[in-house]
Amino acid sequence: MSGLTIIVPVKAAVPNVTAVRLDPVTHNLVREGVPLMLNPYDRNALEFALRLKDRYGGKVITLSMAPPSGKDFLESTIGMGADEAYLITDRAFAGADTLATSYTVARSIQRLFPNFDLIVFGEETTDSTTAHMPAQVASWLSLPFVYYAVDAEVKLEDRLIVVTRYLEDEGVYETYEYKMPIIISVYKNSNPPRDISLVRKVEAKLNGLVKVVDNNTLKLERECIGLRGSPTIVAKIEDAKPIERKKQIFKGDPKEAAKWLLDNLTKEGVIRP
Amino acid sequence: MSAAQAQQKICSEWNPVNKNEHKGIWVYVEYVNGVIKDGSLQLIGKARELASKINTDVTAIMLGSNLGDVVKEPIYYGADRVIYVDHPALAKYVPHIYANVIVQLANKYKPEIILFAATKRGRELAPYVANSLRTGITADCTELDVDPKTRDLDQVRPTYGGNILAHIRTPTRRPQLASVRPNVFPTPPRDTSRKGEIIAETIDSIPNINGQGLIEVRPVVKGEELPPVEKADIVVVAGRGVGSADGVKLLTELARLLGGTIGGTKKVVDAGWLPADRQVGQTGKTIRPTLYIGVGVSGAIQHVFGMKESKVIVAINSDPNAPIFQYADYGIVGDYRDVVKELIELLRNYKK
Repeated sequence: MSGLTIIVPVKAAVPNVTAVRLDPVTHNLVREGVPLMLNPYDRNALEFALRLKDRYGGKVITLSMAPPSGKDFLESTIGMGADEAYLITDRAFAGADTLATSYTVARSIQRLFPNFDLIVFGEETTDSTTAHMPAQVASWLSLPFVYYAVDAEVKLEDRLIVVTRYLEDEGVYETYEYKMPIIISVYKNSNPPRDISLVRKVEAKLNGLVKVVDNNTLKLERECIGLRGSPTIVAKIEDAKPIERKKQIFKGDPKEAAKWLLDNLTKEGVIRP
Repeated sequence: MSAAQAQQKICSEWNPVNKNEHKGIWVYVEYVNGVIKDGSLQLIGKARELASKINTDVTAIMLGSNLGDVVKEPIYYGADRVIYVDHPALAKYVPHIYANVIVQLANKYKPEIILFAATKRGRELAPYVANSLRTGITADCTELDVDPKTRDLDQVRPTYGGNILAHIRTPTRRPQLASVRPNVFPTPPRDTSRKGEIIAETIDSIPNINGQGLIEVRPVVKGEELPPVEKADIVVVAGRGVGSADGVKLLTELARLLGGTIGGTKKVVDAGWLPADRQVGQTGKTIRPTLYIGVGVSGAIQHVFGMKESKVIVAINSDPNAPIFQYADYGIVGDYRDVVKELIELLRNYKK
């Protein structure tokens, strides 16, 4: 009985979201020359996958659609414990929205690892925060999917997986049973990630362990990828306009401060003493 | 986009779209454990406004088993029509099964817009539905508008930390899908005299659910009874400046006396002083209370994103240069412990 083949797709996130540069014409994020890091929530996903591997055996493979500079953060995933890492990179993939990105990721997984058991995503990325990718990849692959997983148990002989997930806004845990393969996203406040071993990371770099795959290998149709495979356009961007505030400041005796505040709030009609 | 570009060859895995065939605005009405989500009702109100601009109507979609009279509710909140599917296989919510049913309905009726409340379940369903219809989707919108000429949905979402608003469109595909943050639009009044059309729809096939599905639901037992942050009129928010779990306790007392509730910034939740469902901000909840009181909150942009629409904003902080004061109507510079103790004292006296 073989162990699990678990794919963890990861993203190069922009570390400081408040200091980004946008292309003035396409309004897309300028990624060239911007240092990239592993999306923090993908580390929780990788931890989730590694724990399953620790319990049931098998291997964990990370994969990312990213510019060539994405090699470095994929080496970090090997440093954390991934067995293999793949960089999916080609100029033809540039300008993709979530539909085109999910297409590229889904078809890459299908071609490179047709016998996978699980695809494990982070809940969302810290820079674009859409949480689209897991469900979109599930749609391309016609597979069941479930978000916000905190734990899972596998019955290897039946290829069944029992996933427990947490719905933060309802305060509810739900447990689902599925026949594998399925797609999971991992609740971002669960599975605190293990450290990245610098030794393993350096070994990954020295030995060229990150494999690079381009569209000459994948042969994805031009109309389905990159800008052309993206139905959404960013029509306009603007600075968020703040609401005008009174900005009345009180400095001084706490007793007087408290009275000043309650008087004002009563006048505003927002409290009823 | 020019006509030439629109005529371009499309991905062979996409169906051709005739935009004129697609009419009407749909709202997916999330109904779980006997409750319709407020976020869905709020979207019915917004959909009405959009529909009047492009002279079309509003349809609510509901799924479940033994739904009974609840299918009339969307009409009371402003929908013109409800299409529902009542089937034993929908008794329990299973993401890919619910999503596939919505896809089948959309393929049959061809709406031009489908809106989802960006609840945890809504954020899970919407991208699968969009992708299966080979169309675009925008997550967590905070504003929607529609262009009466092109009938394009203008989907506005804060991005990259919330200081930029992106306007996103799906000009060549239909339907257009968006999820919308709960509580950015008001809930319309419930009017039981409203009439509308109710359609019981059957579907061709439910995906095989053999060995696939929900086997257990376990609510988290909550120790305290204060309402959730997104439901309260008054929210006291603890920032890292409160220093400890004891500080949060003091603020909880203040919240109780004000008849409000307690929330926290990401830092406070990460420190374990409050549970994650009380986090206010970009990666937590968006709130619009009548009164927000931030205590020891510095005012990081990611937090401000989740509270800046509050009616009245109060900040209490020992650092006079804390950015939060730029967003406040009333600010108190000082040690929060002293000020909050005085507030508690005064409020107790008022009660007597």
